[in-house]
Amino acid sequence: MKAGLEVHQQLDTGKLFCRCPSELSETVLGEVTRQLRPTGGEDRAIDPAVAFEAERGRVFRYEATTSDCLVEADEEPPHELNPRALATALTVAALLHARPLDEIEVMRKIVIDGSNTSGFQRTALIAVDGRLDVGGRRYSIPAICLEEDAARKAGEGEGETRYRLDRLGIPLIEIATGPEITGGAEAREVAEEIGALLRSTRRVRRGIGTIREDLNISVPGGTRIEIKGVQELRLIQRYVETEEERQTHLLAVREELARRGAGRPDGAPEEVTHLLEGVATGPLRGLRERGAVAYALRLPGFGGLLKGARPEGERLGRELADHARTAGVRGLLHSDELPAHGLDEERVARLREHLRAGPLDAWVLVTAGRRPTAIAALERVRERAAAATLGVPPETRDPLPDGRSRYSRPLPGRDRMYPETDVPPIRTSEEELERIRGSLPEPPSAERARLAARYDLHAEVVRRLQQLDEVDRLEAMIGRGHPAATVARLLAQDLDAASEGLPTPHHLPTDEELEAILAALDRGLFAKEALPGLLRRLMEEGPPVEKVLTGAGLTPLSRGELEILADELVERNASLIAEKGERARSPLMGDLMREVRGRRDGKEVAEVLERALKRRLAAAGPGG
Amino acid sequence: MASPSNGRDPLEMVRGLPAGSEVEIRTSDGRSYRGTFLPSHELSGPRIVRLKLPSGYNIGVRVGPGDAIAILSRNGNGSGPGAAPPARSEPPQGSDGRPWVALLTTGGTIASRVDYRTGGVRPAKDEAEILSFYPNLEREGPVRVIPVLDRLSEEIAPADWTTIADRVAKTFTEGARGVVVAHGTDTLAYTAAALSFALRDLPGPVVLVGAQRSPDRPSSDGASNLQAATHVARTADLGEVVVLMHEGLSDTSFALHRGTRVRKMHSSRRDAFRTRNGPPLGRLKDQQLTLSADARPSAPGPLRLDPRLDPEASLLWFHPGLGPARAEQYVGGLRGVILAGTGLGHVSSLHLPWIRTAVARGVFVGMTTQCLEGSVDPFVYATGRELLRAGVTYLGDMLPETAYVKLLFGLGRYASASELRGFMLTDVAGEIAYRHPLEPPR
Repeated sequence: MKAGLEVHQQLDTGKLFCRCPSELSETVLGEVTRQLRPTGGEDRAIDPAVAFEAERGRVFRYEATTSDCLVEADEEPPHELNPRALATALTVAALLHARPLDEIEVMRKIVIDGSNTSGFQRTALIAVDGRLDVGGRRYSIPAICLEEDAARKAGEGEGETRYRLDRLGIPLIEIATGPEITGGAEAREVAEEIGALLRSTRRVRRGIGTIREDLNISVPGGTRIEIKGVQELRLIQRYVETEEERQTHLLAVREELARRGAGRPDGAPEEVTHLLEGVATGPLRGLRERGAVAYALRLPGFGGLLKGARPEGERLGRELADHARTAGVRGLLHSDELPAHGLDEERVARLREHLRAGPLDAWVLVTAGRRPTAIAALERVRERAAAATLGVPPETRDPLPDGRSRYSRPLPGRDRMYPETDVPPIRTSEEELERIRGSLPEPPSAERARLAARYDLHAEVVRRLQQLDEVDRLEAMIGRGHPAATVARLLAQDLDAASEGLPTPHHLPTDEELEAILAALDRGLFAKEALPGLLRRLMEEGPPVEKVLTGAGLTPLSRGELEILADELVERNASLIAEKGERARSPLMGDLMREVRGRRDGKEVAEVLERALKRRLAAAGPGG
Repeated sequence: MASPSNGRDPLEMVRGLPAGSEVEIRTSDGRSYRGTFLPSHELSGPRIVRLKLPSGYNIGVRVGPGDAIAILSRNGNGSGPGAAPPARSEPPQGSDGRPWVALLTTGGTIASRVDYRTGGVRPAKDEAEILSFYPNLEREGPVRVIPVLDRLSEEIAPADWTTIADRVAKTFTEGARGVVVAHGTDTLAYTAAALSFALRDLPGPVVLVGAQRSPDRPSSDGASNLQAATHVARTADLGEVVVLMHEGLSDTSFALHRGTRVRKMHSSRRDAFRTRNGPPLGRLKDQQLTLSADARPSAPGPLRLDPRLDPEASLLWFHPGLGPARAEQYVGGLRGVILAGTGLGHVSSLHLPWIRTAVARGVFVGMTTQCLEGSVDPFVYATGRELLRAGVTYLGDMLPETAYVKLLFGLGRYASASELRGFMLTDVAGEIAYRHPLEPPR
């Protein structure tokens, strides 16, 4: 398996072609309605991905906000390319040992899904031929680009998509790796290292959605598939592995189709509405009453191949359904999953007979409010089924939250790029490059070595802190006198552990709150074991932090007080001790810990209890 | 495959090389770039060779004397990036008995495309190219595309107004139901005013239309404006010259402006065109056309064409610091001048002497306001009264540009000062409004 990454990182330098801030906004000022049409590039050819979107003929509604201007509304030409964003891209290029281009030309990449008001995304190739070393391996970085982010989707309705303009125009640095990644875990590691490198410039936006990855994956005999817009780094591994499984499965399906001599399905879609009258349950109930129609298409030779090798696994039936959906139907039913969904044995047999489907044939069924929609959906199914006889069709896929992906559109080609004539070419001057090379930030590998040595931390802990983007906090807190090991553990582990399973959103502890907790810990108000519990309470209940500290009963407890508590406990449980002897230790320890947790160290508590218990047993005497 | 020859400047290798050829550049510091050769950009730096990489990105590589360029394959047919488009085989001829409208093209953004060599926008070559921009144009019925001019609007001159007016009149004679004129937006309002004065008793609508975004962009407003304009030309009972453009920033609503009362109010917005001193003449929203009560219906005919004009007049924008000597020199030799004065129609009293002399010589001096809306009025301030006494003609709420265009036609038609003055003060094409309601209905 081979995989390559494209990492897209937002910059906080202000927008790329206007003077708007690179910040999202919740203030909607008004709305604009538009449509987009396909246009050709320099040689007039229309890209397949573009033609695909145009066919859908959607209406786009754009919400204007306080973070955008006439440029984002496509009502004013782009201003000059933001020099701070360019300097940041050139800095990243230098960190990756890439070669900046002599003259940079801004291109228009046609994107007519509406996410850009202009119908194109402005993008420029900044540098080529870079490299990155991660975990002892070297990865090529063929391209570093600077481009504008798209508008963010705010909703979707019948024939229309709503976007908010605030994100449109925020600069993105795009870093592409070569197809040299060989597994899911490795992909995640490379992505995290690139993320840390980008953050070292101190010019990037932070938080959910500010860094996104595209994954390019192919297995031997398969095709390059692009999974676009992965926001959760931790899911990268899953996406890579699931895609590997999907392509392997599709290749197996191709083998079987070839063995059976199956080709492109060539029959016409047939109306089957009349065969579905009286269906009592499921998605096909009451078609006629709804004014809906049902159409079916026979897929000769596909029998049994639409369901996957295992129930949760990837399967061709789902691929066909994804394609059908792009024509506007909700999904499809296929013969491999029937009888089910309200269709009994007899009805399935009748459908099969009507469609003249033999034992090795499959068929699919769609319903729609209008005939042309149903027929168009089956035509998409036919194309996808035909592609299955050739193997894995190249395409762009959307990542799903469960680690799978779904077909979104054909893979774009170079036909969708043409020059942005409103922006003149930009020359990179030797002086500027010299200045950038002379003031490079510390790269993540050097930072790792420095922090590990200086604070006596394990290199992996520092790597984790880099991945979590916590290095700045680490240094700040250590600088204010907190012990390095405790701070590192807090930021690298405890915060993460405390938030596990908490509903989002929950309170995210501020630096001040964390410092208050650390200060309490330093003063011995509680033991470090109590830290995760305290953090969790703070996340659940929110500020003020003092309430969490006192509410937890974290008033100081001296050694003497602990001894008194232990003695009292032993006294109260005299009969239990008399009965169970040494075996009473465990329940008593539980009781005592409940009382003092976090105020004294656990080992010390055990020790004190042990002594009290021994005293008691000794006083009672043998046989007492 | 050609390879670099010793001692020759590698740039020589690509001189005259057809765009679309495949080349490889190897620099002396070890870089190499392979891609499709592109013509150089007019704003490129010295010694920059432009390539389109396989990824689709264009880049510029500085080629020094020590670098090498290899030509991997020479493009023979010239059909690479930047070459001319394939021509459409047969232009549609739209009169199969059904009512047809004419689309007169004059150039401008709406009929332009990006020139990938210069990076600028250039006018479309021919009818086929225009129809290739707007494949849905004939959805509602036949459209006959008639190229008239091939000019960006800043290049349009008064003689061109005559050409366009002639062609509009001829097109109606040939049986068009309505006429759409595609025009650059910069001087669209001037042409609209000119056609309003040149063409009378129109048997159908004359709809001027433009685009603020070129048609090579997916977001161009050209397509929806043109669609709306042909709809109006085909269906409206309207005997006027109007400008149709976006009413707001959405592609869903279009405003119709009377040709004599419209101005481009913004350099880039889609809704740049606005009717001044009142509401627009109509609007088209969701295919529904509403016209204001004073819209002139189609005339039973015959159409009257009077395109005579004399370009010996000008428009002078008064500003603080404009000396009378300079103004006098500027106006010298002209038969008339429209002043865009301040406020209610004033220029510094220092200008009174040359104005008196000019008027005495028979030069027409008209006063309009440089305010974006409102009328002139000579009676409110002393300067106004003095200007009036000096012989300046106050032109009410006529837009300065409209007054200038009207003056050209007036000079073409009338020899006597009093006839000309009478013409200028008469509302002939809706250019003067005498009533300005408090809240113009929208």
